[in-house]
Amino acid sequence: MNATSKNRLLLLVPVIALAAVPFVFGSFTVSLFNDIGMAALVVLGLVLLSGVGGVTSFGQAAFVGIAAYSSAWLNTHLGLSPWIGLPFALLVTTVSAVLIGILTLRLGGHYLPLSTIAWGLSVPLLFGNIATLGRHSGISGIAPISVGGWQFSSSEAVFYVIWILVGLVTVFSYRLLDSRMGRVIRAVRGGKVLLASFGADIFRVRLALFVLSAVFAAFSGWLYAHANRFVSPAPFSLHASIDYMFMMVVGGLGQLAGGIAGTTIVIALKSVLQDILPLFSTHAAQIQAVVFAILFILLLHHARGGVLSLASRFIGTRSGGGAPAAISGEPVEPLPRRALPAKGEVLLSVDGVSKHFKGLIAVNQVGFDVRAGEIVGLIGPNGAGKSTMFNLLTGTLNLTAGRIAFLGKDISGKSQRDIALMGMARTFQHVKLRPQMSILDNIALGAHARGRAGYLSGGFGFDAQEERRIRAEAMHQIERIGLAGREHELAGSMPLGTQRIIEIARALASDPVLLILDEPAAGLRKGEKQALGDLLGRLRAEGVTILIVEHDMDFVMKLVDRLVVMNFGTKLFEGAPQDARADKGVRAAYLGDAA
Amino acid sequence: MSWDIASILAVDGMAGAAIYLLAGIGLVLVFSVTRVIYVPFGDVAVFSALTLAFIEAGRVPPTIGLVATLAALATLMEVVRFAGLREFARIPKAVFYWGILPLLPCVPAWIFAGSEMPALAAIALSLALVVPIAPLTARLVYHPIADASVLVLLIASLVLHFLMSGLGLLFFGPEGFRTRPFVQGTLQLAPGFSVSFQILLMVGAAIVLAGLFFLAFERTMIGKALRATAVNRVGAQLVGIRPAATATLAYVAVSVLAGIVGILIAPSTTMYYDSGLIIGLKAFVAAIIGGLNSYPLTALGAVAVGMLESFASFWHGALKDVIVFSLLIPALLVRSHFSSHSDEEPEEEV
Amino acid sequence: MGKSHIRHLLAGAALAVGATLALGQSAWAADIKIGFITPLSGPIASQGIPFSKGMAAGQKYVSEVNGRKIEFIQLDDASDPSQTARNARKLIDEDKVDVIVGTGGVPGAMALASIASEAKLPLVSFTPLFLSGDKAAWSVTTAQPASLMIDAVVDHMKKDGVKTIGYIGFSDSWGDLAYNTLLKSAEGAGMEVVTNERYARSDTSVTGQALKIVAAGPDAVIGGTAGTPGALPYLALADRGYQGAIYGTHGIINPDFIRVAGASAEGLLAPTGPVVVADQLPDSHPSKVVAAEFAAAYEAANGEAPKDAFSAYAFDAWKVIADAAARVPADMEPGTPEYRAALRDAIFETKDLPVTHGVLTFKPGSPYGADDRAAVMVKLENGNWVLQ
Repeated sequence: MNATSKNRLLLLVPVIALAAVPFVFGSFTVSLFNDIGMAALVVLGLVLLSGVGGVTSFGQAAFVGIAAYSSAWLNTHLGLSPWIGLPFALLVTTVSAVLIGILTLRLGGHYLPLSTIAWGLSVPLLFGNIATLGRHSGISGIAPISVGGWQFSSSEAVFYVIWILVGLVTVFSYRLLDSRMGRVIRAVRGGKVLLASFGADIFRVRLALFVLSAVFAAFSGWLYAHANRFVSPAPFSLHASIDYMFMMVVGGLGQLAGGIAGTTIVIALKSVLQDILPLFSTHAAQIQAVVFAILFILLLHHARGGVLSLASRFIGTRSGGGAPAAISGEPVEPLPRRALPAKGEVLLSVDGVSKHFKGLIAVNQVGFDVRAGEIVGLIGPNGAGKSTMFNLLTGTLNLTAGRIAFLGKDISGKSQRDIALMGMARTFQHVKLRPQMSILDNIALGAHARGRAGYLSGGFGFDAQEERRIRAEAMHQIERIGLAGREHELAGSMPLGTQRIIEIARALASDPVLLILDEPAAGLRKGEKQALGDLLGRLRAEGVTILIVEHDMDFVMKLVDRLVVMNFGTKLFEGAPQDARADKGVRAAYLGDAA
Repeated sequence: MSWDIASILAVDGMAGAAIYLLAGIGLVLVFSVTRVIYVPFGDVAVFSALTLAFIEAGRVPPTIGLVATLAALATLMEVVRFAGLREFARIPKAVFYWGILPLLPCVPAWIFAGSEMPALAAIALSLALVVPIAPLTARLVYHPIADASVLVLLIASLVLHFLMSGLGLLFFGPEGFRTRPFVQGTLQLAPGFSVSFQILLMVGAAIVLAGLFFLAFERTMIGKALRATAVNRVGAQLVGIRPAATATLAYVAVSVLAGIVGILIAPSTTMYYDSGLIIGLKAFVAAIIGGLNSYPLTALGAVAVGMLESFASFWHGALKDVIVFSLLIPALLVRSHFSSHSDEEPEEEV
Repeated sequence: MGKSHIRHLLAGAALAVGATLALGQSAWAADIKIGFITPLSGPIASQGIPFSKGMAAGQKYVSEVNGRKIEFIQLDDASDPSQTARNARKLIDEDKVDVIVGTGGVPGAMALASIASEAKLPLVSFTPLFLSGDKAAWSVTTAQPASLMIDAVVDHMKKDGVKTIGYIGFSDSWGDLAYNTLLKSAEGAGMEVVTNERYARSDTSVTGQALKIVAAGPDAVIGGTAGTPGALPYLALADRGYQGAIYGTHGIINPDFIRVAGASAEGLLAPTGPVVVADQLPDSHPSKVVAAEFAAAYEAANGEAPKDAFSAYAFDAWKVIADAAARVPADMEPGTPEYRAALRDAIFETKDLPVTHGVLTFKPGSPYGADDRAAVMVKLENGNWVLQ
């Protein structure tokens, strides 16, 4: 029995303990567990959305409310069963989430949390003003969930419905985070440019996350309506949304298990305080909020990672990272590869490209080609317009004039993501790795566009075959850069040189037609430069086409077949490296500058 | 809607705007210096309003006990910190700044509360009593996590709001209070259109104060230090500005602003222990319209929120807040579109 | 699923189990136990706290029935119906209470009513309950039905020749209830309700709503409000120079309301229970004696004289329970399902019980027990309520 299956057996212990709860405790404790379970569903969604995805939401309770009211309305007005109410509630919530998400998820910075406060506040107010939803008194007399005439009306019966759902949602969330889309979700905080570089659209990922969290909340709302059997606006107020946020923070942002623990602790603590405080004061009810706030502040001060990090300190488990399941050794069919153009064919053709920034001409009428199988260096002193050129090539900036063709197609107006999907893979001058993800996961991100498993197949585990192929591809790249055996270490713990190499491996994992590197040698020590140079040399030998945009001329000289030298936004020289040294203009502008 | 009604609503909206302007300035100030979204602003305002109401009613304001408790806790924290660093020489100064200075207004409050006092004296005393609250709570809550992400700081702010409204309920009780108006009467501007002096006073005070803050920020050394910290924390530190000290300064300023807001609003609005949140949130809307960094745009935002709120209460009273907060979303979209934020926001690891 | 994830799940589960282990505790006793839920914090705390004081007065008034002590266990629901429900289950399950009393706010009280019928124990509430038939089998309330109070107002308006009524109320369940009742009652009396303005308890200004009412020009305005936040419309109407008659509902009978509303509410007419003007009642009024007893008990329990009408409702709830418990056979053991059922039966046999808010007679099928002796009209004159 290996460690994983032993741990899986250990996991049975809390499951069995949980299953025994209705037999051991009275109905109050059971209903408390029900409340915990229902809140945990919302918090799990919030962990994915805010904790992992970085989209702060102060409006989750509104989704709970939309679902609860939908199902309650259908049940009391049309007399339909809760089982019809469930898909209806999910539908209404999803549509609401899509609409709200499309409107607000493009907002950046502090605007997004504020907008969530806006609808988190507005939606429950709307409930109170709609006559058919019973206005502020809400809807009562909602039917309990029933199966074949047997009603889940007692809290003991609902308990199992709730916790089975919590279990399913938890397993779904874990699987999802471990899947192809899960890697992207974990990378969302890296920003739009990073996601586009391997062909993912940050807006769509955020929207999907947002809808997913709303769906989790909808399950909670549906359960709430049919377990409590009355709904009114108050439980879905902004205050409740803030409470969910607190539960997530107590659990430690971004940890699914922490989400459940945080929910349990917050709800149980409130109940315990309600029992204990009257022993000390006659103003117990008023003091409760104060004591709760103080405990919370202490937690923020001493365990910002939440109770889970606190618990880990004692239990000895490490939060984050850890060793995931070993990659099975059995061979898998490799991911399909792109048909590569014949050696010598023109891959990239830059023709009379200019870029103006408010009157400043950063790039002026530059043109050059890159052919399959060669390594081209684009160099120039600081301010030469290299970085602008790089951004124009990758679609990060739009060009003012000229034309860029890649694989014979005009890409001048195309988005960064489209260009990446065509087979142009890039690295970043300021390394964009996900420091809390393993090297393997970071590199597997590169192969994102080569897979097709979505959120649902990831969450339900239908993606095992493809996932093994992606991992095998990532392992292949790890071996290629010589990091085999270290694939489970965190990318953030690597030195800069290694991080640069990991970025190259990530780019290679996308099976690119053209690899374009943004100042790969910047900030590297001598030994690291050497290692990088060796790697690029090996890649050249393997026939990979590379465009290096670099400041360090010496580093490029030995590597490239051809050099393009820029200065003050214009092309100064194009030709063999040794000729560049001889060129007067280059010497004056570049070497003279370096001397 | 007739012209009369529109003008009355506009005046009412200006009164609201005056409040949101002062609160918005406070939020921008604190955010730019400390990255804290100071949600409890409204709670401090409530404390000042209720303190004034208690003094007017001839009762001892419980604020005294609150300030004393906070000061004791803050002093304890400082002493423990310096003792831990073995810098015993710095303890007396810390005790003076955190323990004694905040208690100074408590003494006259303790002595004179219960006796009739002139209106101005009561106002000054209430203000003096609430001034230590924001810096003390900030020392207790934000200072130990000053390096945390904006999200964690925002959560801390929300918790602090619940803490303060909980204390408000405990100390002041659940009932609402109004204070005596400073000035009676109305100013007849046109037949059928008059403005009460109270509103004129609110708007005037807000404009004057906002102007003063703006000048202080632009002209004085302290203002420059605050701005420098706002622009570049590390850089400011290098030229000898201590971020902790500027932060405390910002909190003192925000406390004064909140105190004034509370005193201005209390004669025309019933204040409850939990009135603070919604005032704070609406001021937050104004501040966000100003991008949390521009004072003139915050003023514009305050006017927009105040006006919208006033007119919305006429169109559909029950949905007033829905209207105010919903129209925020297009405002945010515009704001987000024009703000020069690169898509690469600084990523925040918690 | 990776190994680290399982470890996390384990750590989380361990924490969760640990946190809840402290919860299961049981208690049992031979005393009569009242489970009392009231909002001591949150938006309606200003009503919830007087309810709590009223219960304390009740305990001072009568603390023993049939040789059994009556005790009450008080829980705060923070004005949140979900918390109300949770508290109710806790009281029933852990404290084995015999009867539930509570809470402020209609949604919370409705939640209690459904739990009461599910757990088969009586509920004595003090807020309006919308129940009928079977659903009302376990629940009663000491509050007057809103229609009784609003009818009293509308009758008064009719006498004064009012034809059009302006309404402004809270945007909450109380505001809804008052409006709907007013519509029905006014229609019967041939009057027209011309505005339905709403505001939130926490609003800082109702100028817009007041302008709309003034523009509609009704003969009288009635506020569907409660407590100090209810003062706002009267202040705004006075500011806007509204000259017509002003009315209120029984929710505003509270000294803090008078303090906040000040001169703007002078001449305000409102319905209320007799307890508010007990000293002005004729000696023949059934509530006169009870009100005096209530005042004495309240002062003994809370160290101050009663000032509001809310606490009296809670006192009445106590009185209903004590009265009913006295009629339960003395050999029945509290804490048993039989006792709960017997207590329920006894409560529904309550007949002509004088309480501070009139006289209560409960019958199965309706939660209300008040008749028109529970409603009087009062007018605010120089800061005092004067019986009309």
